[in-house]
This record gives sequence, C-alpha cells and structure tokens, in this order.
Amino acid sequence: MIKNISEIPSDTQLEADVCIIGSGAAGLAVALSLAGRGLKIILLESGTEVFSKKTQKLYAGELADEKLHSPPDKYRHRRFGGSTAIWGGRCMPFDPIDFKQRDYIPQSGWPITHADLAPYFPVANRLLEAGEYAYDADTVFGINKPMFQGFASDILMTNNMERFSCPTNVGSRYRQRLSLADDIQVILGANCTGIRLNTTADHVDHLDVASLDGKKMAVKAKQIVVATGGIEVARLLLASNDICKTGIGNQQDLVGRYYQCHIAGNLGKLTILGPTSNVRHGYEVSAEGIYCRRRLSLTEETQQKIKAGNMVARLHFPKIVDPSHKVGVLSGLFLAKNFISYEYGKRLKDGQASLSTYLKHFSNIILDPIDTFRFLYHWLTKRTLAKRKFPSVILSNKSNQFTLEIHSEQYPNPDSRITLIDECDALGMPRVKVDWRYLPADIESVRRSLDVFVEEFRKSGVGNFEFDASKLEEDLTRFGAYGGHHIGTARMGKDPETSVVDANCKVHHVDNLYIASSAVFPTSGQANPTLTIAALSLRLADHLAQKMQAPCQSKHVVI
Amino acid sequence: MKVLILGATGHVGSRLVTHLNRQGYETIAASRGRLNTNIPGRITLDSLNLEALTHYLKGVDAVVNCVAGDKHSIGKGADILVQAAIVAGKPKIIHLSTMSVYGGHEGNITESHAFDPTYGWYAAAKCEAETYMQKYAAAGGQVISFRPGCVHGPGSHLWVSRPANLLRTYRLGDLGDAGDGWSNLVHVDDVVRAIHVGLKISKKAGEALFYNLAAPDSPRWNQYLFDLANGIDATPIKRISRLQLKLDSKILSPAIKIAQILCRKARRDASWLPEPLPPSLSRLFEQHIFLNAEKFSNEYDFTYMSYAQSLQESISWYNDIKY
Ligand SMILES: Cc1cc2nc3c(=O)[nH]c(=O)nc-3n(C[C@H](O)[C@H](O)[C@H](O)COP(=O)(O)OP(=O)(O)OC[C@H]3O[C@@H](n4cnc5c(N)ncnc54)[C@H](O)[C@@H]3O)c2cc1C
Repeated sequence: MIKNISEIPSDTQLEADVCIIGSGAAGLAVALSLAGRGLKIILLESGTEVFSKKTQKLYAGELADEKLHSPPDKYRHRRFGGSTAIWGGRCMPFDPIDFKQRDYIPQSGWPITHADLAPYFPVANRLLEAGEYAYDADTVFGINKPMFQGFASDILMTNNMERFSCPTNVGSRYRQRLSLADDIQVILGANCTGIRLNTTADHVDHLDVASLDGKKMAVKAKQIVVATGGIEVARLLLASNDICKTGIGNQQDLVGRYYQCHIAGNLGKLTILGPTSNVRHGYEVSAEGIYCRRRLSLTEETQQKIKAGNMVARLHFPKIVDPSHKVGVLSGLFLAKNFISYEYGKRLKDGQASLSTYLKHFSNIILDPIDTFRFLYHWLTKRTLAKRKFPSVILSNKSNQFTLEIHSEQYPNPDSRITLIDECDALGMPRVKVDWRYLPADIESVRRSLDVFVEEFRKSGVGNFEFDASKLEEDLTRFGAYGGHHIGTARMGKDPETSVVDANCKVHHVDNLYIASSAVFPTSGQANPTLTIAALSLRLADHLAQKMQAPCQSKHVVI
Repeated sequence: MKVLILGATGHVGSRLVTHLNRQGYETIAASRGRLNTNIPGRITLDSLNLEALTHYLKGVDAVVNCVAGDKHSIGKGADILVQAAIVAGKPKIIHLSTMSVYGGHEGNITESHAFDPTYGWYAAAKCEAETYMQKYAAAGGQVISFRPGCVHGPGSHLWVSRPANLLRTYRLGDLGDAGDGWSNLVHVDDVVRAIHVGLKISKKAGEALFYNLAAPDSPRWNQYLFDLANGIDATPIKRISRLQLKLDSKILSPAIKIAQILCRKARRDASWLPEPLPPSLSRLFEQHIFLNAEKFSNEYDFTYMSYAQSLQESISWYNDIKY
C-alpha cells in the first residue's frame, strides 16, 4: 500500500516489525525482498513520486571546497525512488579483491567476502534491470569480439565488462508491487527527523517523523533500516544526539569520516595500429537487450604486486573543449552543455572558453554535417525516445586514437568527511558540510597502474599508450570527486573500535538499528556502487527475516 | 468409464482425448465440426442443441466441457449443457473455466475470491457459465470447475506462437513495468492430467468444486517473454515502451483484426497478416494477478510440470512448426 503522510492523523504512533527509511535502490531492495514473508513493514519516504524543489532543498548544505565536490543537493534526489531517478545505470559488482584486507591500503578489508554477496548479485542485477548476472565479456559475447584485435596480456584484462540498467527508476518500476503488497505500508512525504534510543542507548525506541507542512508522528518498529543514502545516513546518525551526545554509533568518532567517492578523469593517449575495425570501442547488446561494454582492468595479482588500488579504464574520445578534434558531434555537445542537467553537464564544463573557441566549435558542426546528423538521429531514437537508453555518447572511431576514462578506488581517509553545521533545514535538522579530500596515494596508485598499461601495450605490439605523468593529478582531479557515489561514512567492520556497523550492517551496540547503503562500504573499489548496494540490501533483508523468524518463505517478490 | 468430451478438437480437448484413450477410458470426442481433424471416433455435435446433447449424455458417466468460442457458445452453451445433463441422469460435469472469471483483480487470488464479470465479454461469459455449474450442483449434480491460468505448451497459439511471432517482429520484448504481471502459465498436459484426476474424484453429489490451475513456478511475463525469445532465436530482445504497446494494441491491431475479418469474408487467405496484439493482452501483461493453485496440488498431491520443462516443450513445438 502506498499513501501520503497527509492521510495519517497527526501525532499517531505507527507500529511495525520493520521500518525502512528511504525508498532508493537500497530501501526498495529491502522492502521488496521482505514482502510476502509475513512481517509488517513500514517504509518512510521523504519525497513523493514527483520531484519537488522544497523537498530537495532539505538536502542542501555546505562545501569545504567547491572545486572538489558538488553541492550536497546535487547528484542525489530526495523523492520516491531516490537517486535512481537520475542515475546513469552503470552496473558492475565489486570484485573479490575489494573485500580483502590489503596491507598497502590502510583501513581496507570488509568483514564479509565476495562469496557472502554472491547469492544476491544475480537478483540485484535483475532488480536493476541489467539482465543476467554475467560480467565476463568473453563468455557473454565470445572471444570473437575482442576490444583490440590481437591484444594479449596476462595482467591487463579486456574481458571485464559493465552492463547498463535502463537506467531504471526503482520507484516507478516497482510501484505497483509495493502498492499491492498488503504487508508493506509506504508513506510518502514522511521525513525521519530523529532516531530515538532508549536511555541505555542499546535499542531504538522509536523514530520521529515529520512532514514539510508540519505534521508530526512516530514509528515504533522492532527493527529499523536506515536507507537514506551515503551522505544522509551520516547526517541522521549524527543529528540523533539526544542520548548519545556525539550521535548514534559515533563513540569512536567514525560516523561521517572516511568519506569516499571515486577518482576519475580522462587522460593519456592510446593509439591502436591497423584499421579502425581492430577496435571495438562501443557497446555490445546482450540477448536480454542490455548495453554492455568492455573495460581495461588489472588482475588481482598485479594490483597486489604493484600495490595499487582497484581501477578500470574505458576507451574515450578526445577532450570536448578543445575544438581541434574537429568532430562536429563533440562540438555540438560542448555547445549544448548549458542545456544538459547539472549532473550530466558537469564534466563537459572544462575550463573557460573564449569566443574564438565557440566559433571554432560552430565551424566543426558545419563542416561535419553528416556525422552530426547521424549522431542526432541515433540520439533521438536510441536515447531520448527509448525506454532502455543508449548509455553514453559513442562516436564513430575515425582515428584509432583514444583517451582513457579512468575510474579508480580512493584510499580511505579519516579527514575526508561529512559533518553537521549549525544551520538547519525546514524541518529543524542540522545541514551537512561536505569536506571531500583525496590523498597523494590515490594519484600514485593510478600512476602505478597506468605504468603497467604503458608497458603492456608496448609489449602487445597492437598499439601504444602514453600519459603525461606531470599532469596526472590535475587530470584526475579536474572535476573533483566523481559525483553520486557516497561511500564509507558508516563503515562496516568486525571491531567496534574501528567501524560503525557489523557484518550484518547492524550498528554496533544498538540491537535493532541497521544501515542499508554504500555508507557501510569500508572501501570504494573500482565499481559504481549501486549494484553492490542492492545486493547488500537483499542480504540484509534475509538476515532480518531470519532474525525475526519470519513465518513465510519469500514469495519471490523481488524477481 | 465413458466420457463425452465437448470441444474435442480444441487445444485442451484434443490432447485430453488422446490421453484418456491411452488410459483406457471410453471416449466420445464431440465438436461442432468446423475443424477437420484426425481424432478417431469424432462425432459432430452442436453443444447448443439440447436434444442431441441430451441424447449423448444419456450414455456417459461424465462430460468434460472444453468448448471455446464466442460469448453465446460459452454462456448459453453451459446453460444447455446443465439442462441436458439434468435430464440425462446427472453425469459428472468437468467444466473448463478460466482465471478470467477473477477479471481485473490483482494480488494473491485463491478460489474463494470474488468474480468480476465486468472485465470484458470473455470474463462475463465465463462467469455466467460458472453460475450454471453451480445450479447443476444445487440440483444434485456433481461438478468440478477448473480455472487455469494461461494454458501453454505444444499447440498453444495464444501463449506460444502468438507471443513468439510478436517477439520476432519486435512488437513484444522487455516490457518493464508493463510486463510485471505474473504469467500463471500451466502446461496443457497438466490441465489434461488435472481433468483426469477430476474424473476419478468421487464426492458427495450436490457440491461444486473449483480449482485454480497454474504452475507455481511460473515467472512474470517479462521473464517468460525473454525465455521464449531466447528459445526461438529472437534475441536480442528490445525494450518496448508503454507508448509502443498502446499504439500497437489500440491502432495497429484493430486494423489487423478488421483486415482478418475482411479476408475471411472474402474467403481469402489471412495468414500473411501480422499477429494482432489485442488491448486485453497488453492489459494482462501488467496485471499483477498471482493465481494461487495450491488447493488442487495439496488436495490431490498433484505436481505441475516444471517451468523449465514446459518452456522447453513450447519452444520445441514452435520451432518445429516454424521450420
Ligand atoms: C547523476 C547520477 C548518476 C549516477 N550513475 C550511477 C551509475 O551509473 N551507476 C551506479 O552504480 N550508481 C550511479 N549513481 C549512484 C546511485 O544513484 C546511488 O548509488 C543509489 O541511488 C543509492 O541508492 P540509495 O538507496 O542508497 O540512496 P538514494 O537513492 O539516494 O535513496 C535515498 C532515499 O532516502 C530518502 N530520504 C533521505 N533522507 C530521508 C529522511 N530523513 N527521511 C525519509 N526519507 C529520506 C530519499 O528521498 C531517497 O528516496 C548515480 C548517481 C547520480 C546522482
């Protein structure tokens, strides 16, 4: 059942077996998985099914450095379905090495392994509409469709691939399942404004709930799942400071710290020899109609040998801002950047452009009309009008020259953090300040990996890769933190001294408070987080059902 | 035991006749005679003909009603069948109903769920037919109604070759939330076996029994459509938008339907026309109805064919007729 808080009388106290806060990828995975198991579930969602500026403003906050991170009300949406309303849909699981303790990455190591999540990844993959859980391109598409014809390396892999969700907004996609589930009550417009512990601070007594038009109520549930996203989890824990003065789970001053995104940038020059048909740089379509794409990555052993974090690289095109590429489409994108949403235009806004740059871009479009037209037609039919969207701009390869788009793990850093400030939002909740930082180690890790790339391409004989080592830091930090990935603010671990939640995502020392979010990831890996968030959330749902001895088996509401 | 099968040339009826014959039953396979078939011992019988029907019913222990057709032959046909059976000494009636009697209801649907005859002519006719069956029980007859979900398997145009043809032409595919309903598939041979079980049930007269029939591991439509596409080599499948589905079922398909009727009237071949995708079909794909069929399997220890096997049989059949 889905209702709005306005339908519930003020000062009501609702009761449930499980209360989930947030209806993004995490919250909905928990709710859908728990449905049909004989439990009473309440899901509180701040927003409604349509975007509202007033609700979104609850997310606003401060930045320590505007160059390094986007404002906290960007790159996430406060509405039913959460940030999946605007996500890009790129899916890939965390790799086995991401869970391991690596002595070259301080504070690395999860209390669970890849195998613990293995049963949940396939369902998570389906939930996000990314098709079958199969991420080896050689298996899915066969070895006859290699990234580079004739390329062979034991340590630089090209078979690793990513899949794309529609991108699916989990809210609209699963709305009907939720509204028909008689054991779930979704309450829209309901903001959790406080997690209230009992006086011994080991149990959540109830949740405070408020609406923007002043309604207040409470929810008393046996188990609580906070699924408000990686920044908001920290905010809610820190702001709930009536019993624990430093916030819930924060005895060791860990909540909000170790904030990670990813290190990303386009750099270097990869030249492949021979005809352009030697390279498959675009998307392949799997049997289920899923767009898939190969990426470059290093084997686990190599990462360990060179002591580098996990990283992937995708083939990319020349820098858009510089009109000397002479590609009409790129110039068109450059000129359109002001019409593209903040989240997707950000990485196109590269430095200041002079009038003459603009003119050169115009001339590129005029001189390259056929390609521009073909591109626009493709964009219109495969993206604007399509339900399963072509994931990104792919140009025809005319030169066999590419830059690499790097997406790399960040080293956990306690000084990179989310804190509360004095200013409050319309509900009286203190706003956040985002102080995202990176470490020299993050850059050096990429450098070591790229050195291997250089060497492997040289040895392979199929081409040549080079990058400007002196500009590496600049190239990787030009746009600051990679947007939308909010990781590490309530890290998971065995030891309560060094972590916030345990292996079951339960806040240490509080017997009924759980967190479903990338906030619990101790490290960031190479992967975009959402698939792993969903898998972890499904695992949490199973744990809760078992803990509560749920009367029925799941009626597979999730698939 | 002697059994009269009405609608014996249909999808379920024809396989039922074969099955019962093999099991040693004495059968009379009756149909209106529109279809030419090689079913042995078939008789032509219009089930709307009270006298003729009464005549045949006098000689049998049970009658299985697999009659399909228009509103009249379903509704009126059931009325006449019941009248004839009462006169003929009340043989047992096994009536093939449908989950459509539950109309647009969604959720977990058991046999006690209310009917919804407002859902369309088919639902209305099938609901009407069931009320006559209840009258038969009230008059002291034995009656068992089966309400299967979507009967697929070899020979199923509706749930195998129709979706398969639509998949091949990219008019169906991954439907997203518009294909999130449960498919409630049941293999035709499971329906046949269930009827066979029904023939053996001995119970107090005057009581009507109703059973839903659907394989409990039937997936949602999106999954079935993909699996089918995969089996018939119609991959990669396409994501079909709601808009496309709507345009297809509301504009293209009515036009195809009219063309089919015109061809038939003009006695021309209509098989070259594309498959229509009626609005009722796209409506079903998004209907979250889970036909709960536990009652039958629990009471009679009945196990359904696995989804994997029924899918495989459907695919093999389709690939055989196609190539
Ligand atoms: C532009 C963009 C592109 C992205 N691309 C990708 C990608 O390609 N691949 C990938 O893996 N990830 C991507 N992401 C990240 C992805 O969107 C998130 O990882 C994912 O949505 C996180 O899910 P979540 O449920 O943890 O949080 P969210 O989706 O943020 O959901 C949190 C929910 O909690 C609600 N909420 C918050 N506070 C409260 C409160 N106090 N009370 C009640 N409700 C509350 C919110 O309204 C929201 O519905 C992208 C993100 C953005 C912004």
